[in-house]
Amino acid sequence: MFSRRFMLAATLAAFVAPGLARPAFADDGKMPVVATFSILGDFVKQVGGDRVDVTTIVGPDADSHVYQPTPADAKKLTTAKIIFVNGLGFEGWADRLAKASGTKAEIVVATKGITPRKADDDEHEHDHDAKGHEHDHDHGKKGHKHDDHDDHKHAGHDHGDQDPHAWQSVGNAKIYVSNIRDALIAADPAGKDSYTANAAAYTAKLDALDAEVKQAISKIPQERRRIITSHDAFGYFADAYGVAFISPDGVSTESEASAKDVARIIRQIKAEKIPAIFIENVSDPRLMERIAKETGAKVGGALYSDALSDDKGPASTYIEMIRFNANALSNALSQ
Amino acid sequence: MTARLSFQDLTLGYERHPAVHHLDGEVLQGDLLAICGPNGAGKSTLLKGICGTLRPLGGSINLHGLSTREIAYLPQSVEVDRSFPIHVYDLVSMGLWRRAGLFGGIGREDRVRIETAIATVGLEGFENRPIGTLSGGQMQRALFARLFLQDAQLILLDEPFSALDTRTTADLVALVQQWHRQGRTILAVLHDFDMVRSAFPKTLLMARSVVAWGETAQVLCEENLRKTRLNSEAWRDDAPFCAA
Amino acid sequence: MTLYDALIAPFMEFEFMRRALIGVFALALGAGPLGVFLMLRRMSLTGDAMSHAILPGAAIGFLFAGLNLYAMSLGGLIAGLLVAVGAGVVARATELKEDASMAAFYLISLALGVLIVSLRGSNVDLLHVLFGTVLGIDDATLLLIAGITTITLVTLAIIWRPLVMDCVDPVFLGSVSRAGGPSHIIFLALVVLNLVGGFHALGTLLAVGLMMLPAATSRFFVRDLSALVALSTCIAFCSGMAGLLLSYHMGTPSGPSIVLVAGVAYGLAVIFGPAGGVLSRLLPRRHLEA
Repeated sequence: MFSRRFMLAATLAAFVAPGLARPAFADDGKMPVVATFSILGDFVKQVGGDRVDVTTIVGPDADSHVYQPTPADAKKLTTAKIIFVNGLGFEGWADRLAKASGTKAEIVVATKGITPRKADDDEHEHDHDAKGHEHDHDHGKKGHKHDDHDDHKHAGHDHGDQDPHAWQSVGNAKIYVSNIRDALIAADPAGKDSYTANAAAYTAKLDALDAEVKQAISKIPQERRRIITSHDAFGYFADAYGVAFISPDGVSTESEASAKDVARIIRQIKAEKIPAIFIENVSDPRLMERIAKETGAKVGGALYSDALSDDKGPASTYIEMIRFNANALSNALSQ
Repeated sequence: MTARLSFQDLTLGYERHPAVHHLDGEVLQGDLLAICGPNGAGKSTLLKGICGTLRPLGGSINLHGLSTREIAYLPQSVEVDRSFPIHVYDLVSMGLWRRAGLFGGIGREDRVRIETAIATVGLEGFENRPIGTLSGGQMQRALFARLFLQDAQLILLDEPFSALDTRTTADLVALVQQWHRQGRTILAVLHDFDMVRSAFPKTLLMARSVVAWGETAQVLCEENLRKTRLNSEAWRDDAPFCAA
Repeated sequence: MTLYDALIAPFMEFEFMRRALIGVFALALGAGPLGVFLMLRRMSLTGDAMSHAILPGAAIGFLFAGLNLYAMSLGGLIAGLLVAVGAGVVARATELKEDASMAAFYLISLALGVLIVSLRGSNVDLLHVLFGTVLGIDDATLLLIAGITTITLVTLAIIWRPLVMDCVDPVFLGSVSRAGGPSHIIFLALVVLNLVGGFHALGTLLAVGLMMLPAATSRFFVRDLSALVALSTCIAFCSGMAGLLLSYHMGTPSGPSIVLVAGVAYGLAVIFGPAGGVLSRLLPRRHLEA
């Protein structure tokens, strides 16, 4: 609704901001860096430690897919030394925002070296025909209602064939960490020892987390490792830990559901005896609750997929988030 | 004879421009009074003032114990929404409002009353006609049937016979005279002096203020009619505030 | 596909379809008569204005309490009532006409709502949240809609006479009773209440559709007030059912489907309606003897 105006304002800010740009290093001597969203921001904090000042653009509990940059964001970019992005088409607005802000910062793609999943993997065979369907909905509906989101969303993760939610596998998180470490060292060679030590310590924690998740999942009987969730964000988690995530198409955050979609999901849950249904922290829960009631599947609460919770929430860091999700899954799926 | 209606220094108007100016006088119980005067003389305004839809700018109206809700008022028929999809029967039965109110049932006795009223104005057989399909004369008959049902002591008629044919007019005038014989007080705004002379014993001739008020024959003389014309249609924005 | 499969089976198999149907049925019961009166009072666009007035209220409720049925309903109700009553009072107490004062009030409400939402700076797509979903009707929503419908029908029964009289002959009503003004404002309050109920199922904008389209459609078939109300309710209900089935079989979003079915019914009525439709005016018809 407002994004066109914001985009114009952002462009305006782009003309003004270079003149206002501060020195590359802030007064307290920390290196200013920007991460596009909260999970990536957490990684950078863990590796950078005291030496860097991390700002995230899309904060906790917010949806990066439909994010609308503000002039303040453009300003953040102009002062940053490095801009960390997820890549894989996750934050389509970031490139344009970076260009518009005229920043000289280096843009680092944190997923470099990760083998991308296809967004429509064979694990989602039920959904193939429906996927095309969802696109139809999106176009038709947004034509009149979400005009301005169009750009973001399509430049964003819907468009590409790659699933951008790579951080959902802890193994991938380690690659994020090493990429971040290398980028920080390149920008600030004096901190090399500190970054290397931080990264190693954090990687060790991630290894422990990985083992913990695997153990939690292994307690769930094989045939019950299937859930429905409203947003297709857990492909990497599914690959890494052997839990099938089935997403009900047409019930995503963006398109309005049809009775046909809902009926198909209910049939599917019943037919495949899917034991649990999860609601994401960023989507409309009413429909999911209805489906859960109708099928007798458990409502497993929220899973955190694209954003951390705020400081008071249960998933304020990446490790807490993965642990929270794993617990939620094992609680809902174990009998 | 007791007074039914008294005006004390009554001024009525719109946006401070008086349409009825410093009116004094009395209408007696049982009077059949014609109100005459050119367009803009304040006749309709006076009726609106009496039935309470317009507040006086000055002075007062004394109804001698009668509530404004007990007055039967027939506005100029243009104010009825004829496109609204209800039937003659429903329109007429509105006259029972004071008796029935929000919830009161319409019993057999009331139905007889409604049918009598419809028959009295000569609309038998039209009960289930939508009001949109009525001719002007039939519509006016229906409104008279509603008045009949209201059974009011004070009846105000705003140009009740305009645009009606002779027969309808004659029927409705007969009805008014019947009410007069029953002792009701009737005020009617009229333009047809011949009818006033033949059917209305008293006349108020006005042009914002009273020109003459009394027996019809004396009021409707040449001298008075000339005066009304001079005094009627001015609306001056620069008029000074009235000192009286 | 048998007729049973096409029309009955979806409702037998799925509870959400039954709930949606009951929800739409309840909405139709209230929206039918209200739509007819809005149309007859030449206030067809008032519903639309009211829905805009409700939107910011519901949005504010959402900002303060999240996706909470009662907070959003209450917010919408308060905003809508303020606009309805404010506009009604201004129209009756001053010389400004109802449409102008309505426009003034709802625009103020809308602007205020947008302002408050912007100040809070939430990134959540409010419009999305405000587009209710008829497929996700839970117990609380169903009870809310049913309660609103009950209140609507009972209240309409109470104010029926003055409301009709106020439509047909407001001057006459004014001369025998003071009920005209209050009954008009109560009527507007009912419209607000029903739009609030409708917005959980269809969203406010589409709830107006379920109110006005059947009313306009039934005008092409009958000329009697009671028949208009009955037919309009019936058309609203049938549109709801047909829209749900369309959404079930064709995979179209349910809310717009329901309103579009009502729209198609309206289109057909415009052309084929025996009471003043296009064809009935063009074709020579045999007339009765004088």
